[in-house]
This record gives sequence, structure tokens and C-alpha cells, in this order.
Amino acid sequence: MDLLPLLQKVELFDGLSPDELQAVADLCSEQILHAGDTVTRQGEAGNEMYVICEGWVEVIPNPPPGGAGPRAVVNLGRGQLIGEMTLVDYGPRSASVRAISEPTVLQAIDRDRFTELCEHDFRLGYLVMRNMAADLSFKLRHRNLTGR
Amino acid sequence: MAPVYKVSYVVAGEEHPGAILNADQPPRVGDQVRLGSREFVVLEVVDLLPARGDFRFLHATLRPISKA
Repeated sequence: MDLLPLLQKVELFDGLSPDELQAVADLCSEQILHAGDTVTRQGEAGNEMYVICEGWVEVIPNPPPGGAGPRAVVNLGRGQLIGEMTLVDYGPRSASVRAISEPTVLQAIDRDRFTELCEHDFRLGYLVMRNMAADLSFKLRHRNLTGR
Repeated sequence: MAPVYKVSYVVAGEEHPGAILNADQPPRVGDQVRLGSREFVVLEVVDLLPARGDFRFLHATLRPISKA
């Protein structure tokens, strides 16, 4: 499967050359999920981030103690990232993520191998980190607009 | 490359988490869009951020038109 057309349309990889995109594609492994399957569980260690190629997931953080039951804070579709925070902070998963469409197709990227690529190619590393900051900013703006 | 439209969708009038999606075409007022298993109609579309590279950043407000 030629991943380059797909990766070109992911903001995280905006500005990368075809060779750089191919280097990223070489790190990808496809995962096909069914509705209800879990992608990440809040609190667990995470060694991968994911790009959504097809379908939808919902992001569900644990509710605060004494709060209402868990509820989704956003649904993410094609071209969006899951688990990218672990790439920059090495922390545990900040929320649980579950597939809600049939099928949901992801590309998984190993954090350590991707970090190695960023450190080996400074231009690629700079662009990816800039784009990741922009993606996190977009998610914050979306969250603010939902009024939650 | 053709522009990629990264869209923040928010649903008005109900408890819905909204959605973020990359689309090949921008949403337009009156369009029907499907998020997961539900359909909505687009009420408003605004630029959320300046364009960068091949990406356009939009915010759309939706109203539900059906329940799953």
C-alpha cells in the first residue's frame, strides 16, 4: 500500500519532502479495528502514536472523582492523530480512545523509532515538532469552542 | 497538492463532543455531514486559523437532523 498520498494529507507531516515522507511511511504499521475496540487506555504507558486513515474514534478521559460518568470529549476522524502526546512528554496515556466505526483503520508509528528519525534529520524533526504543536493547539481551540 | 481542510465541528443545542476531521472539500452552510453514525446540517462555517502550507483550518457549527 502506498502510504505517501495518505501521509501527505496529515498535518503532522506538512512540509516534508517525498523522501522524508517515505522514511515516515517505513515506520508505519496498519491496524484494522472494529467498533468498540480500544486503541489506548488512560494511565497506561504508550509507545506508539496513531494516524487515523479511515473511520472514527472517540476520546474519553476518566471523569474526576465524584464527577459524572465518563463521556467523550471529542470524536476524531480521518487524518487526525492519537497518542501524539507520548512523543513529546513520554507520559502515560492522557485518555482512553475507542474505535466507533466499522472498520477503523490506523497507522501505528513506534515512538522510539520516530524520535530516532527526528534526531537524525533535524529538518524533519523541526517540521514534525512544529506541526505537532499546531495540532495540539487546534485541539485546544476545538475544546474551547465546544464550551467544555 | 489540493488543499486539505482540517475542520473543527461543534454541535449546537445538545451534549455532543464535536469532531475533528480532515476533508477534501470545505463544508458549506446547508450541507449535510455525517459524523460517526449521525447526520447533521451545517449552520455556519468560519476560518479558525490562517492557512499554512496545503492546510486550511475551519470551524463549523452543526445542528443534528437525525438520531442513531
